[in-house]
Amino acid sequence: MKKEKDLLICPRCFTVHKKLPLSKRHEARCQRCNEVLLRGCDTLEWRVLALSISALIFLGLALAFPLVDIDLGGVSSSLNMIDAIGKLWGDGYLFIAIFALFVLVLFPLLLMGTLLIVSIAMILRRKRLARNLLILATTLSHWSMLDIFFVSILVALVKIYEYAQIRFDIAFLALALFVFIEIYLTRYIKLEWYWERWERL
Amino acid sequence: MRYIRCNFCGATNLRSRDLCRRCGGKIAINPKSSLQTAFAFLVAAIIFYIPANIYPILETSKFGTPEASTILEGVIAMYKAGDYPVAMIIFIASVLIPILKFIVLFYILFSLWRKKCKKLEQKIWLYHLIEFTGPWSLIDVFVVVILVALIHFKNIAIIPGIGATSFALMVVLTMISALSIDVRVLGEKCER
Repeated sequence: MKKEKDLLICPRCFTVHKKLPLSKRHEARCQRCNEVLLRGCDTLEWRVLALSISALIFLGLALAFPLVDIDLGGVSSSLNMIDAIGKLWGDGYLFIAIFALFVLVLFPLLLMGTLLIVSIAMILRRKRLARNLLILATTLSHWSMLDIFFVSILVALVKIYEYAQIRFDIAFLALALFVFIEIYLTRYIKLEWYWERWERL
Repeated sequence: MRYIRCNFCGATNLRSRDLCRRCGGKIAINPKSSLQTAFAFLVAAIIFYIPANIYPILETSKFGTPEASTILEGVIAMYKAGDYPVAMIIFIASVLIPILKFIVLFYILFSLWRKKCKKLEQKIWLYHLIEFTGPWSLIDVFVVVILVALIHFKNIAIIPGIGATSFALMVVLTMISALSIDVRVLGEKCER
């Protein structure tokens, strides 16, 4: 009888596979539906450490500075995420303000902070701490929506580009880089692979 | 089938276990509770879909005269203005995807209920598709958030409408509905 640890079930078609040692830059695919099951990476936790620190810096910049400036007939105005949420709150749109605060500010911050500590805990082999934080990160990963917000900015600007002059600020670039790193850390590398790595600590 | 996959962390577990050996979450398959939760959230989402489309998602006030527009009116206005790509994005993200999601969720819930085994792989594929595209419907809500923050001049102001709140609630409720479906149940009674 094989041990549970040595088996892997495909998330898509639920075929049971036996794990084989996977070398760097190789990926394991499902025999039945060709879904990627695992990607070989010896330095996963170091990569996560480096990228989550950069993501937190970029997110800090994106939150602190205006994303875009517009100029409408000589009057200018700028988009700052915190101000935008504050304005909604002030106008009495409490649900949207709270929702935006969570999915655009708190959850992304918490997710990256959690991944940062997970990587440190994995490097230091603190299995218990890493496990508890991985549970948190797995839950949070569904509810961080800055990637959608990024596309929304572009859509909103298309709506107003006829009337106003638009200038992208440095925070816009920071937000783009954050979104790129977040997609890499939570979609390209799936959170289940962090769990696989955790198991082999 | 001796083994079962943990829905939360993806670990392989023996069927005899109650809790996942890796993340400690519950791993037992409970078709009934998953079905009821998902159905309840789906119905709630459909209820919110109605005000989301009837009420304006944003109001533009030019020189004091308010001008409200619903989601569909916004799409039509943009199409007329010649912004075809954006009109398409908004139409797909905020009209087509929600309706498709309702249909797919009903279809999956129906086959869970009747324990149908036909086209199992397509159903699982559809489930992953709506799970992935779900939050993208929020584009319209975020666009409102951005416009409200950007445009607050003396003569022109943008005010969010009731439609925006309903729409956001609708998207969140469908996401919870999709997340509470246990895809493993689909294949539970279907031995290959």
